[in-house]
Amino acid sequence: MSANTSTEIMLKDIGMVYKTNDNRDVTALTGVSIDIQKGEFVSLVGPSGCGKTTLLRIIADLLTPTSGEISIAGETPRQARLKRRYGIVFQSAVLYEWRTVKKNIMMPLEIMHVPVKEREERAMKMLELVGLSEFANHYPNQLSGGMQQRVGIARALAVQPEILLMDEPFSALDEFTREKLHADLLKIWRKTNKTIVFVTHNIQESVFLSDKICVLSPHPGRLSAVVDIDLPRPRTMEMKNTVEFTNLVAKVRNSFEGV
Amino acid sequence: MNKLKRLTETKYFMTVLWIVIIIALWEIFAFIVAATKRTPENILPHLTGIMESVMSDRTINGGQTAIQMVMENAAATLSRAGIGYVVGIVCGFVLALLMSLWKPIEKIAFPYLMLIQMIPILGMAPIINALTGDIAVSRVAIAAILTFYPVATNTLAGFKAVQREKHELMYSYAANKFQIYTKTMIPACIPYFFTGLKISAPMAITASILVDTLQGGIGLGCLLSQALKGAMTRYVFWQIVFFSAIIGILSFSVMGLLEYILCPYKRTSKKEKE
Amino acid sequence: MTKRKLNFDSATSLLYPLIFGIVILMMWQCGVLHSIFRTDEYILPYPTRIFRIIIENFDKILENVNSSVFVIIIGLAAGSVLGYIAAIGATVSPKFGKGGLTVISAFNAIPIVAMAPVIMNWTKDVSSDAEVRSTVAKIIVVTLMCMASMSINAHRGLNELKPFSLDLMKSYAADNKTVFLKLRFPNSIPYIFTALKVSVPGSVITALVSEYFAEYRAGVGRQIRENILIAQYSTAWAYIVVACLIGIILFALLLAAEGIFLKRRKS
Repeated sequence: MSANTSTEIMLKDIGMVYKTNDNRDVTALTGVSIDIQKGEFVSLVGPSGCGKTTLLRIIADLLTPTSGEISIAGETPRQARLKRRYGIVFQSAVLYEWRTVKKNIMMPLEIMHVPVKEREERAMKMLELVGLSEFANHYPNQLSGGMQQRVGIARALAVQPEILLMDEPFSALDEFTREKLHADLLKIWRKTNKTIVFVTHNIQESVFLSDKICVLSPHPGRLSAVVDIDLPRPRTMEMKNTVEFTNLVAKVRNSFEGV
Repeated sequence: MNKLKRLTETKYFMTVLWIVIIIALWEIFAFIVAATKRTPENILPHLTGIMESVMSDRTINGGQTAIQMVMENAAATLSRAGIGYVVGIVCGFVLALLMSLWKPIEKIAFPYLMLIQMIPILGMAPIINALTGDIAVSRVAIAAILTFYPVATNTLAGFKAVQREKHELMYSYAANKFQIYTKTMIPACIPYFFTGLKISAPMAITASILVDTLQGGIGLGCLLSQALKGAMTRYVFWQIVFFSAIIGILSFSVMGLLEYILCPYKRTSKKEKE
Repeated sequence: MTKRKLNFDSATSLLYPLIFGIVILMMWQCGVLHSIFRTDEYILPYPTRIFRIIIENFDKILENVNSSVFVIIIGLAAGSVLGYIAAIGATVSPKFGKGGLTVISAFNAIPIVAMAPVIMNWTKDVSSDAEVRSTVAKIIVVTLMCMASMSINAHRGLNELKPFSLDLMKSYAADNKTVFLKLRFPNSIPYIFTALKVSVPGSVITALVSEYFAEYRAGVGRQIRENILIAQYSTAWAYIVVACLIGIILFALLLAAEGIFLKRRKS
């Protein structure tokens, strides 16, 4: 029982079968079992069609698996969603273009009926966390792509969730911005101690960020390997040049099947 | 010289130049008409002549000057167009909302919304006048119908254009239907809604003037028919033509201005460096 | 299960509006609509009666349809061609042309009721035959209406090119004519259809309304009005039905043409 208390997300034998328009079955996921510990940074890595985003959406209760069991802190995904146990970040920032940066972050708090004063305070605190305090009253289209994505992260954290779900959040950014956001994300993670599930197709990115990498292979989507990343924390840019880093990247790459 | 060059490069210079060209062409033809025709003001009067008739304080009909008459009739026509416009906007928006909220309503109404675009509603003005039996009601009704469908179709398109991820975010916040609409759907469709408003504003005015011409009484259209029949000076006709042209263009611009005021986020698109 | 649901979905999207239409028609035929609008079967004749009148007066109706459709088609064609030429002009000389496009689009906001009588005045000398000069005047009004939407949309189609496509053309050292024929013109085709979707219904309305102000009494729009003036409501309704049919058929033809021309582009 004591082992279970630290398990935040438990996926057991998850399967997902879609029906196409011409009534054929397509297996998106089959037999995926993953345990994610509290406070862990876990990446789901794989090529397109491996079902990594499907898996994230199952955790977020945006999809219901056709088979298998899932529990989030001992609850169903639906219960977890209704209690706002997770915050979600998409590939694009998905900001409300008619709201200022601060009001974007206040949006989920309004829906949760958080008192006005507390909303403001929490929004400003989140902006400070992502380093955008001076842009509080700007509109999203006045910000660069990287800044928009940071607002997206601040908004996801504003509900004070235990879990942060991220669906290829940095894939649309250029390399320099992405590296800066990697450092920022790790800093935020250390400060807030969230459980992070991070979907990406970038192996280097996943090795640099994660404690554990779940390697998914396509046709049908399945879990090929779980690679533990034992690089020391805090991670630095210099680590990317080490033999250990290169070996881990190679290990993840060699874990794919049928690509 | 340098200043002149900078002036020619401004955004509005070419538009102004075009307006000057059109005015010049008008005046050239007005001179030709004045030299060759017996009643030049019936065909193409000088613009100065029209301006003069606007300024003139000569009473032409029961103690009113030409411009006073035009303004009095215009007020009647525009207020009816305005009422019809507002009724049409409300109906169009509510229908789009219902269509978005409840699928069967969308299925029933959508083909008819498409169909109504292909039907010449203005051509039906006389029969709507006969149906309602009251000229004032039919004016409002036709302006409302013409406003209604551009607003409905554009607003519905706005609801449908909301990013899927925005819905998913709302779902992840466990937002209820009311919150989803007030906080995401309706603010997101405002630019589309304004597209509908901009299309229908000149149409509502055209409709109101046209219905006037069908029956006597007060209204720009009635005055237009009377002036055409020669019941009063031809300059009244020209005043109405220019007035309605200006009002048509203005109505479009006013909607654009309203959008500019209500959507401050659309003004700024300057990207700032990280 | 999903498939059955899909079929159910497409079936209802045909069935619901059909049932709605039939219910309205039945309410009309049974006089329910009359009590809603507080009117009688004289002003709002039964559908069967309207249908009978169309059959009985078929030749006369056809004559007026011909007159209206002629104005619509010629005006639509002339306006679209002129609008496209204006768009090319604005593309060749952007500085001068864009101001021109602004002016043309302003014309679009001028009410037809203001424009039609003016054009009627100007075309008095075109011919001694009232029918000819009225037709010319009506065509000009429709032309002006169609020009605006075509010039704005075509200008967009000629200039909103795919990123780098112009650079690619330059790398081939293509001259302006080649750029137009191989890149700008094909790129503008979907925009032409966007323009026509506005101007086809627009030209029908414009033609019918400008008939009100024409000297010569001809056309579907004029007949609606004349028959109301002499209180022949059933005949007026017959012309309204015909006018709606003209609008719907022309739009259906446009959609069919779009389907053929843009078939390969839709992915």
